Amino acid sequence: MAEISAAAQPADVLDRYRRNAGLSHGDLWLRYFELGGMSNAFELEAILCGALEPSPHDREVIAHALNERFVELGGNHPVPYSESDAKRRWEERKR
Amino acid sequence: MGNGLTSDQPGGRGAEVTTAKDPFGQFAITVGFENARAVLAIRGEVDRVNAPELGAILDAVIERHRSVVLDLAELGFINGWGLGVLAAQAARHRRSGGTLTIRSPSAVVLRLLDITGVAEVVLLENLDPPHRHLDAEQSSEIAEALLGSEPYHLPSHVEKITAIPADIDVVDGALRLVVALARATVGGADGVSVSLRRHGHLATVAASNQTISDMDASQYATGEGPCVDASVKGRWFHAESLETETRWPAFTPKAQALGINAILSSPLLAEDRPVGALNIYSRTAMAFAPKDQELASVFAAEASLVLAGAGVDVTDEQLSSRRHAALATRRVIAQAEGVIMEREGVEADDAYSMLCDYSRTSNRPFRERAEDVVASTQRLRLGAENEPGQSHYG
Repeated sequence: MAEISAAAQPADVLDRYRRNAGLSHGDLWLRYFELGGMSNAFELEAILCGALEPSPHDREVIAHALNERFVELGGNHPVPYSESDAKRRWEERKR
Repeated sequence: MGNGLTSDQPGGRGAEVTTAKDPFGQFAITVGFENARAVLAIRGEVDRVNAPELGAILDAVIERHRSVVLDLAELGFINGWGLGVLAAQAARHRRSGGTLTIRSPSAVVLRLLDITGVAEVVLLENLDPPHRHLDAEQSSEIAEALLGSEPYHLPSHVEKITAIPADIDVVDGALRLVVALARATVGGADGVSVSLRRHGHLATVAASNQTISDMDASQYATGEGPCVDASVKGRWFHAESLETETRWPAFTPKAQALGINAILSSPLLAEDRPVGALNIYSRTAMAFAPKDQELASVFAAEASLVLAGAGVDVTDEQLSSRRHAALATRRVIAQAEGVIMEREGVEADDAYSMLCDYSRTSNRPFRERAEDVVASTQRLRLGAENEPGQSHYG
């Protein structure tokens, strides 16, 4: 049972967002691929299940793919974006 | 989390324990008391994120109370992680001489409790419809179908279940489960299979054995048979006795040669369109009583739900055009990234982050923002004004 008591990973939360967005793994992968994601469908599932650590870029693409779906459903970007180096540099540029 | 129990005195009011981690606020456990029994009502979804918290709360309650009731009436979803916690706590409580009662499980959860063996070590309460335990042979058959392994015993099999990522291969696993359940519960069923149309062709995605697989294959080869007809026409086909069957002259003798005498094929529907069939075969003519036909349609409906949930109802043409559109969008995004990289002198990831940010702050799809950026190069070429310092993107 050691696996169960491990601390919850953010990736698990991503999969819950996916379920709440009413997307199958296949649907989400296609949206992720459309937005430039480079992992294959199997790798994306592994990321969502917490078995594979996403790169910061992958994490951003997944979050945005989910958020676009939530916007379609009337939401407002509920999935937090990760604090990637690229994003931090961009925030600095904007100032 | 166990420390969060504010009321553990019999007769005290129920304590609402809501987990802080749940970003959806859908998971909550209420702890209350009925006479000398502690009652935990689980609401919402139990998965890997909150299964440990459920475990901790159960642990704390079981520690102090011999008689514990788990009320699942408002449980919306539970996966392998949650079931693993239930199974472990049930086994532990049983060993320490306590009684754990599971109240109001849904039919699906009840089946899962059966399959995992948890139903054997707990009391069941408030069941609708009344529960009939599977016999030992059926249980092990289902277990084998689910896990592809030897019959097993608590607690080792629980670890196997919790080790299965919750959603990987969930469709195939669910279909195998439907096949095993149909085989175990439909009277007269000697073999069961599920056929699905994929890429324009029918294929068997789950079958109880090789003979049944062969039976399906010979229908696909001859292009006729109840399975083919149910998959195409979307209604059920029942061959009561192959002795007198005349509808499928090429297929019928092949089935008889394999010892089959009755076939019942129920259509699998997604969005009201036929996408496949649940096929039940029997060595005995007239094997399927009206009750069994009804059960078959229930299992076909279950399998249809699995397929619809997995997006299997999408046709090949729709999928093809969606993939085509996805490739076109990728191309525009890559072009926009290139434009930003050149203009701003940044790396690809930074350019992507910028696009992402435009999309979010303007609440417009990523694709449209990327198109704007690409179109802005067109304006520049046509000599449109481009004031220094003015954003090309905003």
